[in-house]
Amino acid sequence: MNLLRTLRKVAAFFWRDLAIARSYRGAFVLEMLEALFGVATFYYLSRFVQSPELSRALPQGGDYFAFALVGFAFFDYLGVSLSAFDTSLEEARQNRTLEALLVTQTSLPLILAGSAVYPFVLMALRTLVYLGWGALLFGFFAHGANWIGALAVLLASILAFAGLGVLSTSYLLLFKRGNPAKWLVLGVSGLVGGMMYPVSVLPHPLQILARLIPVTYSLEGMRAALLGGAPFDQLWPSLVALLIFAAILLPLSFAVFAWALRRTKITGTLTHI
Amino acid sequence: MALVGANGAGKSTLLRILATLIIPTSGRAFVGGFDVEREPDCVLGRIGYHTGGDEGFYGRLTGRENLEFFAAMNNCVGTDAYRRIDQVAELMGITEALDRQVRTFSTGMMHRLGLARAFLHAPAVLMLDEPTRSLDPLAAAEFRRFLRNDLVRQHGTTLLFASHTLSEVEELADRVALLDAGRLLACDTQRGLRAATDTATLEQAFERLSQRAGKAAPAEALL
Repeated sequence: MNLLRTLRKVAAFFWRDLAIARSYRGAFVLEMLEALFGVATFYYLSRFVQSPELSRALPQGGDYFAFALVGFAFFDYLGVSLSAFDTSLEEARQNRTLEALLVTQTSLPLILAGSAVYPFVLMALRTLVYLGWGALLFGFFAHGANWIGALAVLLASILAFAGLGVLSTSYLLLFKRGNPAKWLVLGVSGLVGGMMYPVSVLPHPLQILARLIPVTYSLEGMRAALLGGAPFDQLWPSLVALLIFAAILLPLSFAVFAWALRRTKITGTLTHI
Repeated sequence: MALVGANGAGKSTLLRILATLIIPTSGRAFVGGFDVEREPDCVLGRIGYHTGGDEGFYGRLTGRENLEFFAAMNNCVGTDAYRRIDQVAELMGITEALDRQVRTFSTGMMHRLGLARAFLHAPAVLMLDEPTRSLDPLAAAEFRRFLRNDLVRQHGTTLLFASHTLSEVEELADRVALLDAGRLLACDTQRGLRAATDTATLEQAFERLSQRAGKAAPAEALL
């Protein structure tokens, strides 16, 4: 009964966000066209830098375009995971719906989780569009890809990244604006996580740093599944690493969030902008 | 029951504590026998809360879509929800506007929509912060009649509201609580307050009570 109620509420959040998005006609089409420009940029960059040495340096071999496209498409999940929860909190504060939501029979964690569903679904669609543009216009072909394995890596990645997102929201609850930790995580992950180049080209200290952040394992697993067609026994290291991150970060982030929520309720600043 | 007092007396804060939006730093508060800090879920299942402003809606959704969403947040879905939405919309006089985007609503319409939302799940206790703040005099009078006749007498809802308008308090409240700087100066029936202060009107009673508390009653509390 409780699960059914929760699912109905999650569905209500999704339909709310979909209805709002639909009211901005044309925005979705423009976003998909924007994805085309991103994919085209990577394609021409990869043609410019194409060389046998570069192909040999890539974990799955092949061309740089496929490597960069997968990195570009899936790195965004980290961004969405870090932003989805605190964006929903900030929007609810800005349009003053937060107070109205908080006096309903729906908890704040569920409000934030429900509000994050649409951004994740949109992100999944955007990823498909990235890959679709790549396949349709630029010869990207995930031949022999392990799609089930890729889905498993994606779900494990979302769990691992969500912990960071909840921590980010806790910061926003307490300090209302900005979030230096979020930008630090995104910046470091972009630098050392292997989005645009393999981790192996980095200096040794940065390679060690790369092993301490979840996005590295996420991109390695995703590329192995999509570009290398790796079976599950080769994906386990990435999956286990991501699940360890999730096992540490999720309980920690929930505890921090509960503390931050109580703190803001005592100070009476929960709905303050 | 009415909460009265000057700005900063603690009326809205008390309502927010009872609505579980704020945790009290000391003392305990109960709604329907449930502790607001320890049993917030039980409290939230029994209350409706509206601040009297024209805010807290998704402007690009219709009134109906907004109400359906908030009904779902209160575990009211499907045909039950549709029936309740039609009922409360009729009660609030917003049936005609219900399928328009909320951003096209006037302030008064938004206010009615807010009240419809607060009353949607038929709460046992309805908490309103300055319920007629953004209504014109005629709409305010009509709304007070609705609160007194339909909500309280017909549906048996307990109404707890904060107000600066003494005529509103006199018309609606069986009991009145006078607050001053977070302290409860008095809580009684209107007749009880007048008798205890040996005064003829509620305004005089508040003035006397405030003087006893060591300060004159600020004008805005007595309007």
